[in-house]
Amino acid sequence: MSHETATPDDTTTRSLLGYPLRRIGLYLVLGAMAAFYLIPIETGLMTAITSPETYTGTHPYLPPLEPLIPGTGEFSLQPWGTAFEGLQSGLVNSLIMVIPATILSGLLGSMAAYGLTTISWRGQIGIYILFVAGIFIPYQAVLVPLTQFWYNVVPLRTLFEPIALTLPFVQEYHWKLVALTITHVAYGLPICTLLFRAHYKKLSDEMIEAARLDGASIYRIYRRIILPLSIPMFAVVFIYQFTQLWNDLLFALTIVQFGDAAVVTQELVGIGVSQSGTNFPLRMAAALLAALPTLLVYIVFGDKFAKGVAA
Amino acid sequence: MAELTLDGVTKVFTEDDGNEIVAVDEVSVDIQDGEFLVLVGPSGCGKSTTLRMVAGLESITSGEIRLAGNRINDKPPAERDIAMVFQSYALYPHMTVAENMSFGLEESTEMADDEISRIVDETTEMMGISDLRERKPADLSGGQQQRVALGRAIVRDPEAFLMDEPLSNLDAKLRATMRTELQRLQEELGVTTIYVTHDQTEAMTMGDRIAILDGGVLQQVGTPLECYHTPNNEFVAGFIGDPSMNFFEMDVDRNQLLGDLFEYPLTPAQQESVDEAREVTFGIRPEDIDIEVDGTVDSEFEFEVTVDVVEPRGDENTIHLTFDRDVDDPETFTATVSGLRQLQAGDAVVATFPPEAIHLFDVDSGAALHNRSLDVPEATEQLV
Amino acid sequence: MRNLLTRLKRRWSDTDRARTDGGVDSTASFWERDVVRSAPFWLPPFLLIGLFVYGAVLWNIVLSLTSFTGLGSPDYGSLSLENYVIAFQGGVPSWSELTVSPIWNSAWNTVVLMVTFSVVCLALGLILAILVDQQIRFENTFRTIYLLPMSLSFVVTAKFWLYMYNPQTGLINIAVQSLGFQPVEIVQNPDLKLAAVAFALIWQFSGYAMIVYLAGLRAIPTGHFEAARVDGASTIRMYWRVIIPQLRTATVSALVVLTVFSLKAFDFLFSMYGGYQPGPSADILATRMVREAYANGNWAYGSTIAVILFVMALMIVTPYIYSQYKRGEL
Repeated sequence: MSHETATPDDTTTRSLLGYPLRRIGLYLVLGAMAAFYLIPIETGLMTAITSPETYTGTHPYLPPLEPLIPGTGEFSLQPWGTAFEGLQSGLVNSLIMVIPATILSGLLGSMAAYGLTTISWRGQIGIYILFVAGIFIPYQAVLVPLTQFWYNVVPLRTLFEPIALTLPFVQEYHWKLVALTITHVAYGLPICTLLFRAHYKKLSDEMIEAARLDGASIYRIYRRIILPLSIPMFAVVFIYQFTQLWNDLLFALTIVQFGDAAVVTQELVGIGVSQSGTNFPLRMAAALLAALPTLLVYIVFGDKFAKGVAA
Repeated sequence: MAELTLDGVTKVFTEDDGNEIVAVDEVSVDIQDGEFLVLVGPSGCGKSTTLRMVAGLESITSGEIRLAGNRINDKPPAERDIAMVFQSYALYPHMTVAENMSFGLEESTEMADDEISRIVDETTEMMGISDLRERKPADLSGGQQQRVALGRAIVRDPEAFLMDEPLSNLDAKLRATMRTELQRLQEELGVTTIYVTHDQTEAMTMGDRIAILDGGVLQQVGTPLECYHTPNNEFVAGFIGDPSMNFFEMDVDRNQLLGDLFEYPLTPAQQESVDEAREVTFGIRPEDIDIEVDGTVDSEFEFEVTVDVVEPRGDENTIHLTFDRDVDDPETFTATVSGLRQLQAGDAVVATFPPEAIHLFDVDSGAALHNRSLDVPEATEQLV
Repeated sequence: MRNLLTRLKRRWSDTDRARTDGGVDSTASFWERDVVRSAPFWLPPFLLIGLFVYGAVLWNIVLSLTSFTGLGSPDYGSLSLENYVIAFQGGVPSWSELTVSPIWNSAWNTVVLMVTFSVVCLALGLILAILVDQQIRFENTFRTIYLLPMSLSFVVTAKFWLYMYNPQTGLINIAVQSLGFQPVEIVQNPDLKLAAVAFALIWQFSGYAMIVYLAGLRAIPTGHFEAARVDGASTIRMYWRVIIPQLRTATVSALVVLTVFSLKAFDFLFSMYGGYQPGPSADILATRMVREAYANGNWAYGSTIAVILFVMALMIVTPYIYSQYKRGEL
């Protein structure tokens, strides 16, 4: 229990090495669960550092310690090199798409939450409900229209061509990433708005009133008071959105389809499958490589995220 | 001139189901330039709503508010040249004290930065918080935060100050100190002030005049002593004064009052005030009741009573007395005596209700029919 | 009638609600009203959502009434409910020569997956939350580990679990073999497929359920735990009768999120089976929809299935949002 002190009845009975048996049991279970959650990743990692030639698959959870333990294969970083080559353009494309989309959906979400929460006006709850409902829309329900929209209705491709020709580093196929970015911003707005709203509801009403009395306009209140106070929430929103967008497959498949603009999740699907059977080390290395950014974000910022979700 | 006039100000709230709630009902007060008016009343009486209407944070359903002769009903809060101190101080948590105080000037005036800086410096000096200028609100004590909130209001150099229970978040000792300081400050600055509180002690000690509200209706406006000694009605009489006035329901029988617990003769003047009324509420303040131990009932104004509970307060004792101690749940009334007098529960004493000190109120409307006389009574010796 | 009119009039008139409205709304000019002044903040996002989310949903509904098969543009002139009839009964539609099967199989799988996944996730998450709540050391570490799978893309998860389920090299089968049994085909096995998918998804999401329950547990005042103890309840009884009933809000919120997630589980199946064909026993509505639209070219039919999916989500979400609104918790 969050708040109970040591269980006094157990310290006197049934103890092992001075620690109550119950406590040991607890840690065992927790440890076992941790193992359960980590094993697939760990196995993947072990496999990914095995050279594909010597890979046997007999003890995937062990690191490659040939010839010490037969059958585990030899250590090699080659899968990573191959994986990187294969995923390279996907990684770049993902970055190009995810970073602006995350920043935009965070900013717009904060602004929307401000306009719907801190400033109160009649009917705003109705508008907000429309935002919230948007969180739960299954993406399948909009795939066909989205394809139609970006390919047949809005001539983004043709509009983008001149930009591609004039600016360096910008390729023609990047128009697909622009389309994907915009789509993701639109679909990410509901959850971002919800998160910011929860945060803004907790701000002191009197403080905002004081600011109004002090002569600050609605815009100034946002810029000088709300925005600085939103920074903790921006962290949560960015982490969440970054993960969501980096990991998305469905919209990428729909809007980018395949080709030069494919993002990392798309490229990951096909990697490692060839005529001569599956190259597991390559697959695992690729999977880990693709997952690296989000894994890192979670490990480093996991706390902040957990707090935000609890809101 | 910054007189503030409330003219028939009314606020009606409409709930979702169509119910109308009249929070403030035709309140009219003329506040003089430089006056410190305290708006006091029990919770929910509409005093905060009234204040917020003056600030512009609530719209006015009907009536007019005029500042220096100009109607300000439709002006947004920022344009009213009014500064407000909130109950929770409402400081900006991410800004330093200096930034908190500069914010208003930055947002509502065209002043140059160094000009603003100068004014902020002067004000922090005045408030005694100069060394706190670079701190953030979270690092300040309650009292210090309160000063910053005050300073923030002063810096604006407004036509009027509005204060919404600014001392209620402070502990008792600090509250007492701040009370005096606030008063001194207001006198020095000479700014018209409306101060809202539910604490009648604050009202009595701080206001040039007090305005008492109940249920959205203005009960009385007057100096503290006026409200204390000549209350307009039973509500004011009971609200002002601690411990509060004693009330007894009595029937009128020509020249005397008949009650369940005692009977009381009326002077001719009092009879005239009572006029046609059949029932009245009899009121007398605790400090006006004389208590004699081992006394005898010498007149019709004296009664044998028993001490039920004694509350020693140091400077005085509050005695709860009852006419009949044997009853299960005795009805008590209060008297205050000098703190040096030793009385105990169970003591039989004689209580005197001096006729010049009684108040009479109409039973239905609560209006005062007769208030105590204001002549200074002859010094009576309080026997130990 | 008159009451209704009065109420409507009040709703749109200038009298104020019983909460502060910021002052001079009712008498100020149009441009000074709060709703207009705040518009630059919420209006662009709202328009964005309106177009891309709601516009798309409505468009999808319209498409589902056409016979669009990917050639040219959809014929919005002739709309019919034909696709819905096919969806529920099967048959030969007007836009195809082949028989199109109804959606019952996918729908059933979807429901089975949804229910299993949600219930087990919640149960597992609850147990984990209770354990983690026991004032353990390294709490942060454990929490991060349990939450880690959530950081992964469905694609990555699929890759890992494909590996784990592999008949020759997968950890599952290695364990099975070491117990003396023959290796089992999991991924392509019609009997085990759906369970395998559910298992992997549970692996990925139970951490989320744990976080929600943990927050819920922490919100219960210590007094409740102590009072139950003093009243003589054993640990299990205490949790069962006192604590868990108070976790209803947490359960509902986690349940809604999890069920809607499971409706979307397409990404995972796509990566697991390298295409839109997970086979009938693991075919869920999401995969069916994408297959019909992109592989078979039956775009309008795909839209139809998508609408059905949307309605299913709506049925879960609407009561939830409504109850949140009524309780003022929005």
